[in-house]
This record gives sequence, structure tokens and C-alpha cells, in this order.
Amino acid sequence: MLSAAASTIPMLRLATQLRPRLPSARYHWLRPLSSATHVTPPAAAGAGSLEPPDLPRLAKAARISLSPQEAEEFEPKIRQVVDWFGQLQAVDLESIEPSLRAGTAAGSSLREDKPETFVNTDAIVEAIPSYDDPYIKVPRVLNKE
Amino acid sequence: MALTLLRGMRTPISFRSNSGLLFTVLRPRLSRFTTRAESAQATEPKAAPKSIQLATKEAAEQKTQGFEAVIGIETHVQLSTVTKAFCSCPYNYGSQPNSTICPTCMGHPGALPVLNEKVVECAVKLGLALNCEISMISKFDRKQYFYPDLPKGYQISQFDIPIAKKGYVNLDLPVEFGGGHRKFGITRVHMEEDAGKLLHSESRSYSQVDLNRAGVPLLEIVSEPDMRTGIEAAEYGAELQRIVRYLGVSNGNMQEGSLRCDVNVSVRPVGQSEFGTKVEIKNMNSFSEINRAIDYEISRQIMLHKEGQADQIVQETRLWDESSQKTFTMRKKEGLADYRYFPEPDLPEVVLSTDYIDEISKSMPELPEAKRRRYENMGLSMQDVLFLANDDNVAHFFDSTLEHGADAKLACNWIMGDIAAYLKNEKLSINETKLTPLELSELIESIKNGTISGKIGKEILVELIAKGGTVKGVIEEKDLVQIADPAAIEAMVDKVIADNPKQLEQYRAGKTKLQGFFAGQVMKASKGKANPVLLNKILGEKLNAN
Repeated sequence: MLSAAASTIPMLRLATQLRPRLPSARYHWLRPLSSATHVTPPAAAGAGSLEPPDLPRLAKAARISLSPQEAEEFEPKIRQVVDWFGQLQAVDLESIEPSLRAGTAAGSSLREDKPETFVNTDAIVEAIPSYDDPYIKVPRVLNKE
Repeated sequence: MALTLLRGMRTPISFRSNSGLLFTVLRPRLSRFTTRAESAQATEPKAAPKSIQLATKEAAEQKTQGFEAVIGIETHVQLSTVTKAFCSCPYNYGSQPNSTICPTCMGHPGALPVLNEKVVECAVKLGLALNCEISMISKFDRKQYFYPDLPKGYQISQFDIPIAKKGYVNLDLPVEFGGGHRKFGITRVHMEEDAGKLLHSESRSYSQVDLNRAGVPLLEIVSEPDMRTGIEAAEYGAELQRIVRYLGVSNGNMQEGSLRCDVNVSVRPVGQSEFGTKVEIKNMNSFSEINRAIDYEISRQIMLHKEGQADQIVQETRLWDESSQKTFTMRKKEGLADYRYFPEPDLPEVVLSTDYIDEISKSMPELPEAKRRRYENMGLSMQDVLFLANDDNVAHFFDSTLEHGADAKLACNWIMGDIAAYLKNEKLSINETKLTPLELSELIESIKNGTISGKIGKEILVELIAKGGTVKGVIEEKDLVQIADPAAIEAMVDKVIADNPKQLEQYRAGKTKLQGFFAGQVMKASKGKANPVLLNKILGEKLNAN
């Protein structure tokens, strides 16, 4: 649910701020937007330069009801997590090759297109909260997405 | 909580970190396909089609009264893999609901997705076929939204780095719609999974879900907003259908939902560079519905513009209603949906090698555009070309017939005429009949060398197509060899004339049209085997001999 925090922090915009990667240039690819001009000294990219989380919006996106009081309680906790990332932005990555994903598995991680029928479908069906054989029953939804 | 947040935070990081890298490893277009495209363009600027194109364009402009429509299409193609995208569940259309499901496609905690290699292969094939740049490294992202047909609460898709992008597709508009060659841009092709199927009922107080389709692999193809009319959009869709069928990556069946088009339409005054407010149209089940839905929507929007009610055009999703031939509001868009994309942590990057791509490009079949240009160069008319290249089974049959030495135009006439009529009647595809390309070439040859008449040829065709066998066999069995012996024909002519003294009298009195009657009688007597040229020559001589 808290992945929604990503959207409260306008870092998506970083995607458009591409600049050629010069081999010699210091490459700070982790940098808060507010200081995204040129090569920023790590010190400037400290905690607090990230936008604080918008709790009501996060809760709404995650379909979680929070009372205003609960939202108030959670806010500092989540802000603390966000701030950790502020700290991470200060890490010196000059000699690190950027990667698409963490933990890139080398070699093939693909599966052959061979069917295997899952045998214990009964257990799956049992775990369905509301079942009307052979369909899963859900609240009436029409023409919405 | 912290972990989830971390995943979320990774999004911008990966954007930033990889983009520089990726742009440099993007593969240049394969020379093989580039060549094809060039040859296609080279044949394009011919005088005749261009003027037709211009004329239709002018006619369209007059109808749209100073306005221009801008159309872009998102197409979802369901891949014909045996198993789903990220688990080994088999998928068969029409299976018992909720029978092909497992913890992975049901989104149970702890279940991990593993990508089906066939999905990557299909994506690369389609990417190459659409002249795209293939990303040597791409990744999956989670697109998050809540809906009952989506068990996990997110769809595994590709967001910022699709497997293929920046391509184009060439096509020829049907002759009956004015013809003309078009080239439309492809923005991107990406891999994703399908959601389940929701069934709504008017009577029930709840909806029903079948999750058999959840996790089935899709390729989403996003076009550039390059189309201007309903027919252009419909033909774009039809060309994608041909391509996926030629490649064998999907059955492209719109009725089963294996090919779905969502169309975006906006209208702007001619000359304006900004786009108007776009409206999305869904629920079209055939290309002709796409054509009509778009043309309806364009005229609806132009009407609003002209009535000074352009502000009534709002960003929304409209549904095409086939019975009333209109589009209706389905829902208004409330701002942009916030899908909170972030990289799918359960799947590694998709890394391709140049060898892998070379291997696939070598295995690519001849695509519709290349076929059309090749057929066009044989001297066939555009109508013939479009018919033959429309269905790769037909095209393959045609090509094989030519390989056995048949003349292109004659083979085409047989396929488009008698064979197509038979297939249509019997609701069969050409490879479901007993007729082989070799026998069609034999048939054409037998007529050409005078062994049989064209009329007998048609009879033999019906025999071959329904029961199989060989041309020679049928000719022998039914004793159908054409009678080309002048003496034999003369004997038959003499007999017919002798049997019909009344008609002869009338003929000689000036009713020369009766030659047809005599010819028919002789043909009947010969059981259709008399050589018609010889027959008419001898008959004429006899009738006019005084």
C-alpha cells in the first residue's frame, strides 16, 4: 500500500531529466528533484529535501480508511521512512554501474511454455471469500474500471 | 510497510539509472526489414493511386467541413501461448470458469511469477514485424488499481521501458474505399498480463468473476495519432490482425477478445497544431464497427464544434452501441488515473542478446506488406493483391500454386472466384479443403493446353475441393477429356441440325441469334466436352452453308 508514497514525492519527473552520461562525470543518479540542476554535492541531498507524505491520499489509494487521528499518528512514522531515502540520496555512486533493477539475475530466468495444471484448486476455491459455483461472487460492478 | 515503500521509491531511481544505458544499446533496425520497407515505399508513389487518394481526401475534407479528426489506437493482442505469462496454468478459451488457476495467477501471498519465454519471443517477433527498435534490456512494472477481475490488486505490465518502440506499419486501403497506401507510426509494444472476465447481470445483485484469463499474456500496441478517418483506423486494426496471424503469435480473433482495439478520437480545426479533447471509444467487435464508431464520433464532435458547444466534448470513455449505431458515455474521466507504477520486484530484467534477435529475425515469415508489394509487381490488380494477402493461408496456397508453374493471374482468378465462393458457402478455410495447390496448377494447365474446357474445369474443381483426388484421375474417371476432333464435333453438329429443322428454318430466315441454341444443344450432346471454339466454327459453317 505504501508504494503510493512514490507518487506523493514528485520523483517521477526525474524520468524526463535525462542527460548524457559522460564517463568522466560524477553521476548522481539518486538526487532529490529540488536540487536537480547539475552535479550536486552529496551533502546538499540530505534528508528533508523530499516532500512529506500526504497521508489521506496514501490511505485513499490503498483503500484503507484512516481516521484523522490515525492519519496524524502515522504521518511521522512514514515521514521517517521517507527520510531514510533522503539519507540514501547522499550515497556516493560514482563508480557504480546503474542497473535497471536490484538483484539482477544473470542467465536465463525464463520458463518453458509447458502447461502444468495446479492440482489443489479445491483449496484455492475454498479460500475465495464468496463463491457461487463456478464463479467468484463480487459486489455488483457495472461499466467501471 | 517500509519494504513496500522502498519498492515504490525505486521507480525514479531505475528511470534515471537505466535510460542512458538503454538508449545506447537499442538495436538498429534490422537491415532485412528496412529493405522491405524501402521497397514498399518505392512502389508507393504511382500516379493513379495517388490521385484517387487525393480525391478521397478532398471528399473527406468536404464532409468534415474544415475540421480534422486525429485518431490513435491501443490494441491488445492475446498471445496464443499454451500457458499463462507468469505461471504454468494452461489457457484455453471456453474452459470451465475458474478451472485454470493457481496461487500465482490468483495473487496468493508468497507465489512468485516466472516469465514464459514464449511471451518474449512473440514480443520480439511483433516488434520486428512493426519495424520497432527492440530494447535489449527491459523490465516489468506493477500497474496498481483495484477491480474485482484483478486478483493481485496490480497488473504486471511494462511502463517506462517497453520491449519495443518507435516502429511503423504500412498498409493499403481497400479499393472500394478509394485505395491508397498509408504508413502509421507505432509508439510502442509492451508485454503485460490480462485480467479476469467479469460477468454482469441485470437481474442479479452481484457480479461474477472468472479468473481463467487472469495472467494470460498480452501485447499492447500503441499507435501514433496518425489516423484521420474511420476506414484508416479499421484498416490499421486489420493490418495488425494480419500481422499477428502471419507471425502466429495470436489468433487475432476479435469475437473471442483475442484482439481488442481502444480508439482515441479528437477533432480540431484544420491547420491547428494542438489536439482537441480526446474521447476513448470501446466495445467494437469488428473492424467495420471500428470504422462506423469512429465516423459517428467524428461527426458528433464536429457537430458540437460547429454549434459552439465544443466545451461539451469532454475526456471520457464512450461505448459503441451496434444496434443504435451511436456512441454513449460510459464514464467521465476524473483526472488522470494514478496507477502508482513501480518496478515489479518479483521479476528480473528481460535481457536479450543480439544472437537471440538475429535468430528470430531469420525465422520471420514474409509479412503482409512485403507480400502485397510482391504480388503487385507480378502485375496483379490491387483488388487481387489485397484479397490474396489478406489471409496468409490463401497467400500460401497461391504461392504454392505458382511454384507448380501456374500463371499468377489465372491462379488468382480461380482462388478469388470459384474457390472463394465455395469456401464462403461451406464456411471453410482454404487449407481445410481437399484441393491442393498442385492440383489447382494441373487444372489450370489442363485448360490451357485444351485437354478440358473451362466449363468442365469448374466441374472438376468442385469435385477436387470436396472429395480430393487428382485432375487426371477425375478426367479419366468421368471421361471428361475435351472433344477436339473436328470430325466428331461435325457429326454432333450434323445430328443437332437434322433434329431441329424448325429452328434451322428460322435461323436461315434471319434469326441468327439461334446459333446459341444450336451450340447449346451440341454442347449438351457432348456432355460439355466439345471444344467450344471448334464447335462454334463448325456450327457456323454448317448453319450458313446453303
